[in-house]
Amino acid sequence: MNSRPSFPLPSWLWPVLACLALLSSAAWGDPFLWRFATETLLIGCAVLSINLLIGYGGLVTLGHGAVFGFAGYAAAIASQWLGAGLPVVLLIGVLAGLLLSALMALVSMRTSELFFLVATLVAGQMVWEIAFRWRAVTGGADGLRGFPRLSLGDLPLSAPYTLMVLALILALSCWLLLRSFSRAPIGLALVGLRDQPLRMAALGYQAWRIRLAAFLAAGAATGAAGSLYPFVNQYVSPQQVHWSFSATLIIMGVIGGIRTWRGAFIGATVYLFAQTYLSSYTDRWQLLVGLIFVATVLFMPNGLAERRRKLS
Amino acid sequence: MSYFLLQVLNALSFSALLMLAGLGLSLVLSMMNFINLTHGSFFLLGGYIGVQWLASGAPWWLAFPAAFVLCALTGWLLNQFPFRQFYQRPHLMQVLLTYGLSVIFADLMRWGFSADTLSPVLPQALRGGVWILGLPFPTYRLFLIVAGLALALLFWLLLDRTLWGAAIRACVQDAQIVETLGLDSRRLFAIGMALSTGLAGLGGALGAGMLSVYPGLDEEILLLALLVVVVGGLNSVRGTLLCALILGFVSTFARMWVPSFANAATLAAMLGMLLIWPRGLGGPVARQV
Repeated sequence: MNSRPSFPLPSWLWPVLACLALLSSAAWGDPFLWRFATETLLIGCAVLSINLLIGYGGLVTLGHGAVFGFAGYAAAIASQWLGAGLPVVLLIGVLAGLLLSALMALVSMRTSELFFLVATLVAGQMVWEIAFRWRAVTGGADGLRGFPRLSLGDLPLSAPYTLMVLALILALSCWLLLRSFSRAPIGLALVGLRDQPLRMAALGYQAWRIRLAAFLAAGAATGAAGSLYPFVNQYVSPQQVHWSFSATLIIMGVIGGIRTWRGAFIGATVYLFAQTYLSSYTDRWQLLVGLIFVATVLFMPNGLAERRRKLS
Repeated sequence: MSYFLLQVLNALSFSALLMLAGLGLSLVLSMMNFINLTHGSFFLLGGYIGVQWLASGAPWWLAFPAAFVLCALTGWLLNQFPFRQFYQRPHLMQVLLTYGLSVIFADLMRWGFSADTLSPVLPQALRGGVWILGLPFPTYRLFLIVAGLALALLFWLLLDRTLWGAAIRACVQDAQIVETLGLDSRRLFAIGMALSTGLAGLGGALGAGMLSVYPGLDEEILLLALLVVVVGGLNSVRGTLLCALILGFVSTFARMWVPSFANAATLAAMLGMLLIWPRGLGGPVARQV
């Protein structure tokens, strides 16, 4: 603990270095890397929202994957009729995210703790059921393919590197949005509600309003990210709506550190890296990912990012 | 009319299955205040043990006790490490730990028992059907209803009517006071965990004859068991039983009337019940802190 470096690196340096590394990969990267980075950045946005809800709000939701997947389905389905222009896709994604988050908040807000967990889980699972059974619109278990590629006016945006830059911009915006939310008075009230709900109620704060606002902020960010996700591989699967994906998002948040913003992307990178690379070496990659995850919970409950902050 | 009666019996047998899955989880969740997301894995494990046992040629009726004992043993081992350290931790950490473990177990079971759907070889006595008002009904489902009722009664007596049940409920309220009374709370919790996982295993072994066993069943059962226990209201065995009945009936009749959206309808019903009773069917009206 006393190995504190004499010149601590400023905290903004890491994201800047990461962005520079990603952008400069135009010179040496390959489409596989770009696609991987895009997926990581987009899923990282959902993990950012999870961090806001769970880390700051203490609202343990198991339905957040449904928001991500629902926005993806909404954008992909709408693009078949309206075309895949970037503004349209983003708008539909954000609206879908806001709508589902609001609904989820509506059904779960009266409950607390375990009941909250189960209410969000059930609400999310309903979306999955619909995505899975409504074969004519969603493609059912096979997922949805064959929708137009992402573009902006006449400019195509479907090249892997372009998509990655787009995801990077989106990730930075989500980061700024959610971080500002947490630092604004409303974010502080959210933390207050997590720690001292009775005292906050006595002070005149309306819990449901503040929590609804947090849900909406998280839903908007997740919806935007979710709406771009289908265009990475031109494919959406019901897997993105299933509750196990929500649990995976929480796993990523915890691996990275549930109360840090950087941690969201670190966790997403570690998890997806393990998933992608272990699965090409062994069939038992789920076992290994599970082991990594349990080890994180057992030995490093504060996550990777938090640990580093404590050391430096 | 007779068709309707058969559907009622179908619903009852499904309810019995849910009861078996829910009771074990109810013990851990409401009595011990521990969120155990590996509960479905134990159900699946019990199912695999039952299938293997029935295929092996050993006395068939021992398959169910065997599933109970083996799953209880596994649960007891898990209690020693790492569950015991997590009883006092926040719910989020329990969710994370047990979800991670359930991912590991799911993959281990896919490895050990293959990824195919397995159906048990039922003994002669439970095979075939009986005629009820002119329509055939599987004997096995009648057996399930009887077994489920018997176990539910036993479990309710154990928790609500014995000193041991009172002691384990007291442990959640204030473990230190219980310890000053001379009871070992750690041992009580270990027994509680073993009993809960054993019940899950027993449910799995009994359910194998109706549902078959396959990877992914663990998640489905976990979701249903969570619904039964939580919507039924914590701290209330009666609520759990009532909710198992409601869930069984709603899902059976939804499957009859809206086949493709049966699960969505069932989930909607559960969500509606949570909206009306935010603390569950049998839960207390309001409790501060």
